Amino acid sequence: MSKTSQVSVQKSVQKRRVWTGARAVAEAVKLADVDVIAAYPIRPYTGIMNSLATMIAGGDFYAEYLVCDSEHSQFEVVKHASAVGARTFVGSSGTGLIYGTEAVITTALGQLPVVGVVGCRSLDDPGNFGMEWNDAFLFRDVGWLMNWSKDPQEALEMTLVAYRIAEDERVLLPHFVALDGATITHVASPVIPPKKELVDRFLPPYKQPHPLDPSYDTVSKAMHIAPSLIGPEQRKSLDAAIKRAKNVVIPEAWKAWSDITGKDVDPYFESMKMEDADYALVSMGAYSRNVDYIVEKLRETGVKVGSLRLKYFRPFPTEELKNILKDVKGVGVIDFSFSLGSPGNGSVLSNEVKTALYDAENRPILMDFIFAGGREMTLTELENSTKQLIESVKNGRVDKPVRWVTVRGDDE
Amino acid sequence: MSSPELESLTWLAIHGRGVINTAHSSQIALTLSQAGVSAGREAFYYMRYDDSPERVQLPFIYYAVFGNPKIKMILPEEVEPIGNVFDTIAVLDSSLLVKSTSQRALLLDGAKKNASLVVNTSLKPEVILRLVKKYGCAHDWDGRIFTLRAKKYGKNIAYGMIGAIARAMEPLVTIEHVIDSLESTEDQREAIEAVKTAYDESESIKVSLKASDCEQYRKVAPPSKDANASGAKPVPWNRESYLKIKRAVADAPTYEQRMKTMPSWEQIAPALIEFGPKVGERNFGFKTSFARTFRPVIDEAKCINCKLCHIFCPDGAINFDPIKVDYDYCKGCGICANVCGSNAISMPHELAALEGLDEEEFLTIREALIEYAY
Repeated sequence: MSKTSQVSVQKSVQKRRVWTGARAVAEAVKLADVDVIAAYPIRPYTGIMNSLATMIAGGDFYAEYLVCDSEHSQFEVVKHASAVGARTFVGSSGTGLIYGTEAVITTALGQLPVVGVVGCRSLDDPGNFGMEWNDAFLFRDVGWLMNWSKDPQEALEMTLVAYRIAEDERVLLPHFVALDGATITHVASPVIPPKKELVDRFLPPYKQPHPLDPSYDTVSKAMHIAPSLIGPEQRKSLDAAIKRAKNVVIPEAWKAWSDITGKDVDPYFESMKMEDADYALVSMGAYSRNVDYIVEKLRETGVKVGSLRLKYFRPFPTEELKNILKDVKGVGVIDFSFSLGSPGNGSVLSNEVKTALYDAENRPILMDFIFAGGREMTLTELENSTKQLIESVKNGRVDKPVRWVTVRGDDE
Repeated sequence: MSSPELESLTWLAIHGRGVINTAHSSQIALTLSQAGVSAGREAFYYMRYDDSPERVQLPFIYYAVFGNPKIKMILPEEVEPIGNVFDTIAVLDSSLLVKSTSQRALLLDGAKKNASLVVNTSLKPEVILRLVKKYGCAHDWDGRIFTLRAKKYGKNIAYGMIGAIARAMEPLVTIEHVIDSLESTEDQREAIEAVKTAYDESESIKVSLKASDCEQYRKVAPPSKDANASGAKPVPWNRESYLKIKRAVADAPTYEQRMKTMPSWEQIAPALIEFGPKVGERNFGFKTSFARTFRPVIDEAKCINCKLCHIFCPDGAINFDPIKVDYDYCKGCGICANVCGSNAISMPHELAALEGLDEEEFLTIREALIEYAY
């Protein structure tokens, strides 16, 4: 039809689509031409499966779309589909994800490059659907790669790159892409989707090297083998794979992505004003944008503070982190998780950062700001936390290294 | 979340009920955000709700947020903003004028002083003003009210609403930007026509209200001393102190006041334990009447006291003896009227029952059921 509007809008601006993170990931799945999708609803990741179902129903693309009877079946379905050579997509949130635990863990041990999304959600006190990282963190030890996106745009990109990394023959490990629940999954913001031709060039079709198919003479290992016969070796091969991912494949994949999109991105970090920073705020996910905002605000008052966002949690970029933080005097970890009874009674991310810095030459003062429980962070709280860090560095000691920032009541 | 940054952004709040309105609101928010992006602003949108809006007639709010040219970075998050932030409030279902969502007991709670109100209704703007004065406002308001009958502009009420909201939001987005962002919709020609007509036809009046003129103003206490901020150590929980706080939270008329009243971790009842209702009473901390569009009214002359409505009420909102509806908990599902053998229960629209107003623009439960085949 003829265009009725008399518009003077720049067409280049128009290309930005306002998409929720859920929609953006669904578009990535479509671009990656996934073969098998296993769905089971739980907020907040459900929007992805809704969008995919709409696309498939509308004939936009074809995939085997299975609505399973639980999260456990969901992860079983993709595990087996991946074993026979299908590119798969799955996802879950909160307690739902944990219900699938057995299948989630065997997927990694099977070295099957499933890509899954975690829409991070608080573990269920009644009806809590706020954002918290503990659901994804429960799988940090079992061989899944994990990255954290900061907005719908990056969620889309990370999903595409995740397929390339997971399916690389040097890796062959499953990959979680974590989207902060609600703050990314349900918030629509401008996205520029990459062109299909570019994606096709970047992401070759998935070829399972040893498909579980009679014509390849493959069978699965017998379940009742005495555990000691292969247990340690199997884990060690995962260890080798995740190290290769860390040192070779992830940087390679992001380099390739940078070449295609023309944006130069660091695989492991996004840093802002870190070059001369005395204080660093380490964060992940959506709220790192708030951290950036506060950093800019404090920089205007002459405080040398920088923001460092971790993109990968597994594999954890230990050496790189140590290097970036080598001249920093104080580190504040902005953490949306909790780890009750852990060393220092802190939270998961801060404990990881602490471990990474243990043998650093100049260990900075480290403070842990806990935003657990699903309540949204306020800019004021974040600014106050940063000021507490600065003051601690000036005093040369920390009175209270772990602070529950958003909690109402006395933080004892 | 309260901060000067939030107040410097432009906010559109869209109030609606149930699944069908959810779909409409998502379309409205998407179109206007896209228009904002076309107009060179950053924009994002999201939905907030306390209970699942998938359930028939439960209210929700969609927020669309537009960046300020001076603040380049906006923070795309899902927050329930505190402070006077809303520039435009759109209402898809006018029964929300009487009782808004569970977050926003007052419709204009959180609105800027010059906010515009856009209502999908068959009533005149003057009538809407009267309702707002009685139920929905507790602060000074020098804004505008727009009304339109959105169904007039096609089966999808979103298009009519988009036109009217675009007019209320000028000059941040213009009608040209809105039309441009409709380009990718399926029924494009129809949509653009509807939006344009609604833009031209919606009625509007200027409003000047003093806070003291509003009936709800008396209920909004001056900001009480924040117990947690005063430095005094909070009293550890016990049944009585907890109940007192719970009562204050339940009675707080504004979102900000409610947040200030919420208990600290020392004051909260332990684990999954909750205090409140004694046997035979209802839980005053969990009133559910915000879901109601239609109000069951029992005609005592016809009632034969058979107790069927009490037995069938899924929310236990009808007292046994004497038979009486507790309107704080009734969700207006209409099961009581259906099971009543003597036709003693009628289900008038909230506005008809409370104010004698003849509202014609609403989504009947039957419509919702048909479209979604529950």
